[in-house]
Amino acid sequence: MTTSILPASKMTASRLDRRTPGQAVRFIRDHFLLLPLGAAIALVWANTAGESYFRFALAWAWPVNEIGMAFFVALIAQDVYEVVMPGGALHTWRYWALPMAGAVGGFVGAAMTFAAYVALVHEGPLLQAWPVACAVDVAAAYMVLRMIYPHRSRPLAFVLLLAVVTDVMVIAVATLNAPDFEFTPAAALLLLVALAMAAVMRRANVRSFLPYWLGPGTLSWLSFYLMGIHPALALVPIVPLLPHGPRPVDAFDDREDADPVHHSEHQWNEVAQLALFMFGLVNAGVIISHYDSGTWAVLIAALAGRPLGIIGGIGFAVAAGLSLPRGVRWRDVVVIALATTSGFTFALFVTTAVLPIGAVSSQITLGALLTAVGAGVTFLVAWQTGAARFGHRKAA
Amino acid sequence: MRRFLMMLMMLTGATAWAGGGQVTLPVDDREAVRFAVIGDNGNGQPAQYDVGRQMVVAHGAFPFEFVVMVGDNLYGSQTRRDFVDKFEIPYGPLLRMKIPFFAALGNHDEPTNREYPGFNMGGQRYYSFVRGKARFFVFDTNFMDPKQLAWIESTLQASTDDWKIAVFHHPIYSDGDRHGSNIQMRVALEPLLTKYGVDVVLTGHEHIYERIKPQKGITHFIVGSSGQLRKGGLTPSAMTAAGFDQDQAFMVATIIGEEMSFQVLSRTGVIVDSGVIRRREKS
Repeated sequence: MTTSILPASKMTASRLDRRTPGQAVRFIRDHFLLLPLGAAIALVWANTAGESYFRFALAWAWPVNEIGMAFFVALIAQDVYEVVMPGGALHTWRYWALPMAGAVGGFVGAAMTFAAYVALVHEGPLLQAWPVACAVDVAAAYMVLRMIYPHRSRPLAFVLLLAVVTDVMVIAVATLNAPDFEFTPAAALLLLVALAMAAVMRRANVRSFLPYWLGPGTLSWLSFYLMGIHPALALVPIVPLLPHGPRPVDAFDDREDADPVHHSEHQWNEVAQLALFMFGLVNAGVIISHYDSGTWAVLIAALAGRPLGIIGGIGFAVAAGLSLPRGVRWRDVVVIALATTSGFTFALFVTTAVLPIGAVSSQITLGALLTAVGAGVTFLVAWQTGAARFGHRKAA
Repeated sequence: MRRFLMMLMMLTGATAWAGGGQVTLPVDDREAVRFAVIGDNGNGQPAQYDVGRQMVVAHGAFPFEFVVMVGDNLYGSQTRRDFVDKFEIPYGPLLRMKIPFFAALGNHDEPTNREYPGFNMGGQRYYSFVRGKARFFVFDTNFMDPKQLAWIESTLQASTDDWKIAVFHHPIYSDGDRHGSNIQMRVALEPLLTKYGVDVVLTGHEHIYERIKPQKGITHFIVGSSGQLRKGGLTPSAMTAAGFDQDQAFMVATIIGEEMSFQVLSRTGVIVDSGVIRRREKS
C-alpha cells in the first residue's frame, strides 16, 4: 500500500514492461506521471481543437485549481511535515544549513535572472510572473536524482531539503504577490477557529482525515478565499494538527501497515492524484505559437539562474566554514543543482496563483512546461562527470 | 508572386464587399464620430515617424477627433525621453491640435504607462470612453482577471450606446504567422462581446493589418503595423476579408448613424483597404 504522495516506489522504468496493467497504473501514479499525462493531453487538445479545450479548461479551472489541488498540497505538506518532525528522516537540523544556503542562492539566482531577462527585452508586464521562475518540482528533482544515485544516499535527502525550502519561499512570495491578497481580520479569525477546531479533534483522537477536511478544512478554505490567498494552500495550516507518525525509514518511503491514519492518507492520495491529473489537463493547454519572451525568461531562469545560484549559495556557505556532507563532492553539487531545474508541476501551480488567464499566463505556462528539459540536462551532466552510477559505468 | 496575387484578390474582394469601389469617408456630418487607429507603433523608428506624418496629411482631408492606440504604444526602454521620442515627437502635430490619444496596454507597455497623461487612461488598466453615439471599451488582455471580466460584463450590459467598440491588444481572430488567434481569450471574451452587442473589435499584436470577416456578427480589425512591421507576415485564410503586410499602416474611420466607414492607409498614403460596416441589431 502506498501511503506517501511523494515518490516512493522502488520500481524503475525498465521493469515496467514486466508488470501487470494494474501495476503499470500504480507506476504511473507513484511516479507522478499523471500530471505530465494530463499536460500532454492538454497540449495536443489545445493545439488541435482550441475552442473546445479552452471552453473545458475555463469551466473546470476553478474547482480543480481552488478545491481539488488543496488535497494534493495538503498531502505533500503532510509528507514534508512527517519527515522533518522529531523522529523523521530529515529531522536533524545539522543537515539543513547547506541545503538552505543552496535554496536561498537558487531562489535569488532564478529571480535575478528572470528580472534581468525581462529588463533586457523591456516587457514589464512579465515581472508579475517572477515567482514562477523560482518554483522547483520537488517530485521531479527527487526522481531524477533517484535514477542517478543509490537509494537513501545523501544527495537525495539534500535535494529534497533544498527543493522544499525553495518552495516554501516561493509560496510565501506568491501569497504576498497574489493580485487580490488583502488581510481581513474576520477572515483571519475564521482561520483561528479552524485551527482550534482541528486541535480539539486531534485531542479527541479523531484518526480519519475526512472530519478534518470537512470542518476545519472548510473554514480555513473560506478564510484563504476571503483574503485572496490561493485556496489550494488552505489545508496546509491544518496539516500539523492532523494525526501523524514520523517517517524514520527513509525520506519518503512507503509505510505498509494497518494504521488508520495511513489508510486515510492512502485514500486521500487517490483523490489528490486525480486532482493532479485534472490540474495538468486544465492548466497545461497552451497554443505553442504563443511562446514569447516570458517563455524564455522562465526557461533561462530555471536552467541557468537557479543552478548557478545554488552552486554559488553552497560555495559561499562552504567558504564561510560549512562542509559538504560526507560522500558528496562538488560534481554531485552540480548534478543536485541541475536536478532542481524542472519547475513543471509546482511552476504550473504558482502560475495559477500569481497570474490570471491572459497573454502573460500563456507564455509563462509554456516556459514552466519546457523546464522539464532540465531532467535531460541533469542526466547528460551526470553522465559526462561520471556521477554515482554513471561513474560505475564509466569505470566498467 | 502567389502571395501578391492572393493579396490583390483579397483587396479586390474587400472593396467589392464594401459596396463596390473605394469608400470615401464622409466629413461634414455634425454627428459623426471620426477617429484614427494605430497599433504596435512606438518603436521610434523612421517608419513610425512616416506614419505620424501621413496621419497629419490624412487629418487634413478627414479631420478625425481622436486616436485609438491598440497597444505596444512604446517599445524598448520607456523613460521620459522615450515618451518624447516614441510618442510626443512623431505625433506632435496632432497633439498640438489637441487631438487626444486613448491607449490600450500591450505586452511591451510598462503597466505604469497607464498613468501617462498623453494616453488618457485615467490610471486604469481597463476603462471606457464615449464619443457621440459610440462607446469604446478598452481592455487589458495581458491579465484577464475575474475582476476585469466582471467589469467588462457590467459595463457592456449598462451601455445603451448605439455603437459598442472593443479595443484590446491580443487578437482573438488572426491569420498572422507569428501568433495567430488567441483562442483562450476568444473563449473568455467572445460570449460577452456577442451577448452585449459589440459591433467592432480593434486589436494589434500581429505586425500586419488584417480585417476579419464578421465573426458571430462582429467585425475584427488587426492594426498592428503602425510602427513595427512583419513583412509577409500574413497568410490569408477563409476568414480573411482583407489584409496588408507590405508596409506600415493605420486606419481612419467615421461613424454616422447605422454605418461605420473606414479606410486603411499605408505610410505612403495608399489606401489599402476601405469599407462600410453596419452596426448590429441591438435587442
